[in-house]
Amino acid sequence: MISVLLNTLLAAGLYATMAYGLAIIYGVMRIINLAHAGVMMLGAYAAYALFSRFGLDPFVGLVVVAPLFFVFGVLMYAAVGRRIAGAGATPSIESLLVLFGVWLVLQNFAYVVWTGDTQSILTGYTMKSIKVAGVRLGVPSVLVFLASVGSLIFLNVLLKRTYLGKAIRAVTQNRDAALLSGVNAGRISAIAFGLGSAFAGIAGAMLATLMAFTPDFGRSFLLKAFCIIVLGGMESVTGVALGALVLAALENGLAAYTSVPTSLQDAVSFALLFIALVAFPQGLPSLFARFERRAAIR
Amino acid sequence: MRAFRTFGLVVFAASSLWAQDVIKIGAVMPLTGKESKIGGAYKVATEYAVKEVNDAGGLQVGKKKMKVELLLLDDTTDPSKSAQLVEQLINQNKVDAIIGGYASHLVQAQSVVPERYHVPYVTGGAGASAIYGRSKWVFGVLSPVEKLAETQMDFLSDLQKSKKLKTPLKIVLLKENTEHGRDFEKGVKDYAKAHPKQFSVILDESFELNAADFHPLLSRVENARGDVFMCDAHLEDYIAMHRTYTQMGLRHDMVTYGARGADDAARKALGPATDYVFASGWWSALLPYPQVKAFNEKWQKAVGSAPQWYHAAAYETARSLFTAIRNAGSLNKEAVRNALAKVDLKDSILPGGELKFSPTGEAVLPFVVTQNKPGGKLDLVWPRAAKTGDPVAPIPK
Repeated sequence: MISVLLNTLLAAGLYATMAYGLAIIYGVMRIINLAHAGVMMLGAYAAYALFSRFGLDPFVGLVVVAPLFFVFGVLMYAAVGRRIAGAGATPSIESLLVLFGVWLVLQNFAYVVWTGDTQSILTGYTMKSIKVAGVRLGVPSVLVFLASVGSLIFLNVLLKRTYLGKAIRAVTQNRDAALLSGVNAGRISAIAFGLGSAFAGIAGAMLATLMAFTPDFGRSFLLKAFCIIVLGGMESVTGVALGALVLAALENGLAAYTSVPTSLQDAVSFALLFIALVAFPQGLPSLFARFERRAAIR
Repeated sequence: MRAFRTFGLVVFAASSLWAQDVIKIGAVMPLTGKESKIGGAYKVATEYAVKEVNDAGGLQVGKKKMKVELLLLDDTTDPSKSAQLVEQLINQNKVDAIIGGYASHLVQAQSVVPERYHVPYVTGGAGASAIYGRSKWVFGVLSPVEKLAETQMDFLSDLQKSKKLKTPLKIVLLKENTEHGRDFEKGVKDYAKAHPKQFSVILDESFELNAADFHPLLSRVENARGDVFMCDAHLEDYIAMHRTYTQMGLRHDMVTYGARGADDAARKALGPATDYVFASGWWSALLPYPQVKAFNEKWQKAVGSAPQWYHAAAYETARSLFTAIRNAGSLNKEAVRNALAKVDLKDSILPGGELKFSPTGEAVLPFVVTQNKPGGKLDLVWPRAAKTGDPVAPIPK
């Protein structure tokens, strides 16, 4: 039981890390950033370059990766994002196609620079584990989990306690009203794209400590991240963490307590996505709000 | 007008005569994209085999010595493009035969085209059994993956007989959810079924390629308490899974990831955790045949690095096709196809030392088994006659 619980928490940390960036960009710009996987892949290679060239630990290297990918995201917004930014409630087909194209460009750029060879990062703690309540947990997974919790706190503070965060939330909730209130929605979108890319880069760098990667890296995570943000409510980072927790709990619980083949993990994600879209399209937070309202009426 | 027509006919006849002096071989390989690393290696080895023939003055076809012209295209690791390029080589470039690419999913897409146009096709890059036996025009040099699993079981059985491993052995079997994985599973299960006193498969699970988290799967492995861990995985999944395996403190008497184990990338990614992992391969530079030693030397001299299994497979693929063309004595496609079916390379560098195709078009050759040893050392441990070191079993605690 404890083992399932702890592994669920670690997996949730991993999944949430993959999904934060996607949620931020969707929340502000109503764009499903299909280039997210490509940016994660570049994040993995950035961590690899810092590690192999300068001996910088991938987790320490995040202080370089985060600002680097923030700038990259802002530049990507200036080059591509602002041309496809939609103020509508649903993402436009153009934005999906353009960002899919960006992903392919990033992927092929990586093939040219790093070739298709499988790369990995082996640190002194990669193969190590620690015992928590008698359960062995991989050190890199624990570090990813801690970084994920740190990211959640940072994003909550940023979004709820700062002017920038309030402006981001205003654009997220009602772009037109935010514009009328004097919020520079274009600038906020650029920052959101930068933040989303920074978190995608961070996710890629951290995932590189867990697994090997090629320029194709990130493809399978994109679908999982998408399921998580639909489940968690596309505009809330706490919802994202919650969505990741539900998904991880379901996957680990099914493996531990049922005989459902683990190869159906992805099927579980998609079934959950389907249920979420049909039953509570605004995500888990809206479902909880609905329950609260009903309880108050009673 | 008549003069113009006559001139045209003369030019056509001349160009036809000229074309007869060259054997046009088409090849479609993944030179960019996900499979570009091994696809690139196939290209180098195929070009090397062509150069070797041309440097010797060409290929004897009937009474003529003909040079080989290689038309090699990049499918960018895209199956639909791969099939389309094979079609292009046949229809537009009018090639005499096709050398197929690498990776089962790409070869699978290509392999439907030769049947359509009746063109001989031979590949050195696909071991999935489903590709073969559907068309008489398709041949493959890589032994089936089922045979890989069977070789590993033979190896384990031998370790039981020499009392290094206990009898019976409980196997936990994991495989990627692909044709490759399913063939591996079938090979292990069929063998276990045929040897119930020696083996039992107590867990049989599959996983999707590039899975994000192997904890749930490995928790089942932990609970199953098997003796031998047998998994069929691609390189990226092998690395991610074995990291989790090591972090979880799992331990088995023997561990294999199918064809994966000795890869440099894995040893770099996993360090000493790969020690004692055993793997099966289609070839090893450690094979003690004189022709392998000669190949290693000439390859090292020409390319500047040691040959890998994919170089050997691609080289033998081209050589089998050249032998068939020579034996056919013409470029008639049916004749070349029939000659391919009868090819018997008695000086093959592949395990067993002899390359010929089964009635389904697939070469059925023995596999080699290697085992990683500490300090980055690698030993060929199976077949016994070719071993360069003793297998270590069970894996030391």
